Amino acid sequence: MLLLSAAPALAHGGEGGAGGFVAGLMHPVFGPDHVVAMVAVGLWGAFLGAPAIWLLPIVFPLVMALGGVLGILGVPVPATETGIAASAIVLGLMVALAARPPLWSAAVLVGAFAIFHGYAHGRELPAGANAVAFASGFVIATGLLHLCGIAFGLLTRWPAGRLAVRGAGGVIALVGLAYLGGFA
Amino acid sequence: MIAGVVSGLTQFFLPTHLLAIVALGLLIGQGARDLPIQLACLALGLAIGSVMIALAMRETPAAIALLGLTAAAGLAVVLAWTPPAFLVGAVLTIAGAGLALNTPPQALTIPVAIVEQIGTAMAALVTLALVAFGAARATRSWQRIGVRILGSWIAASAILVLALRLAR
Repeated sequence: MLLLSAAPALAHGGEGGAGGFVAGLMHPVFGPDHVVAMVAVGLWGAFLGAPAIWLLPIVFPLVMALGGVLGILGVPVPATETGIAASAIVLGLMVALAARPPLWSAAVLVGAFAIFHGYAHGRELPAGANAVAFASGFVIATGLLHLCGIAFGLLTRWPAGRLAVRGAGGVIALVGLAYLGGFA
Repeated sequence: MIAGVVSGLTQFFLPTHLLAIVALGLLIGQGARDLPIQLACLALGLAIGSVMIALAMRETPAAIALLGLTAAAGLAVVLAWTPPAFLVGAVLTIAGAGLALNTPPQALTIPVAIVEQIGTAMAALVTLALVAFGAARATRSWQRIGVRILGSWIAASAILVLALRLAR
């Protein structure tokens, strides 16, 4: 990460480094609807335990990239913002209700929502030379948000922690609801 | 002399090159491949690329090829797939050539240009060796999961940029 954020000597006028990377890193962070959904993925993964705890955070960025490709290619994906808000509601509810569906259906659900998040990012990907640094930044930010969720989700080992995690899921669902209703 | 090497080193540290070398390093380390042979393949590719620059080849799709290899290597890491050794060697040779072609020396004289290319090659080889060594030592379950997560991040980044380059 340090190497990616360091400004290289661009003798041949190639791609940029620090600016694009930091911009990409900050991109998901400044969208609270993105943040809560990413954290919810980590929380749910931790709640479900192995192998979901690592499978969901691997599925999300890969499918998100496919969503990003759709955005870059200009393929119309309807109701993107609604999909992002819905992802926070549904994933938050999954955590709040301590839902334990089969792994494949959890992965499909997370992957489906990742399309919307990736699409939104893909449309905003800069066409300039900073694209690699920007894309790396926001993919890493997404992953780190998952890890935050997983770290918090590990509290489920204790009864009180389990309650706190389920409460956090409820808050995430409410945030999603606020976005869906246009209150945020 | 030293300035030329440093110039070559800094030209290596671009996001496209780093992503490619880290992805390939993870692939080698995860599959516990014979590192000296794989390093030799990368060095061969770097030499081929340097010769192609000397032959004044221009407008090569080196960056796109590198991104494609990066995405493929990242996905292989995610799947924990161990490709045949000859395939990894071939990929490293192509990646080396792509890397050299994507890093044309800025020097005006041939000796300094050669030194710059040597600097770039050193940076690529050392980075690959370090990443592969680290990934090979990641033997615990959570460490191997970490390697696969890193592979997914790299693959996702490469796929996005590849789409962007091809679309616009």
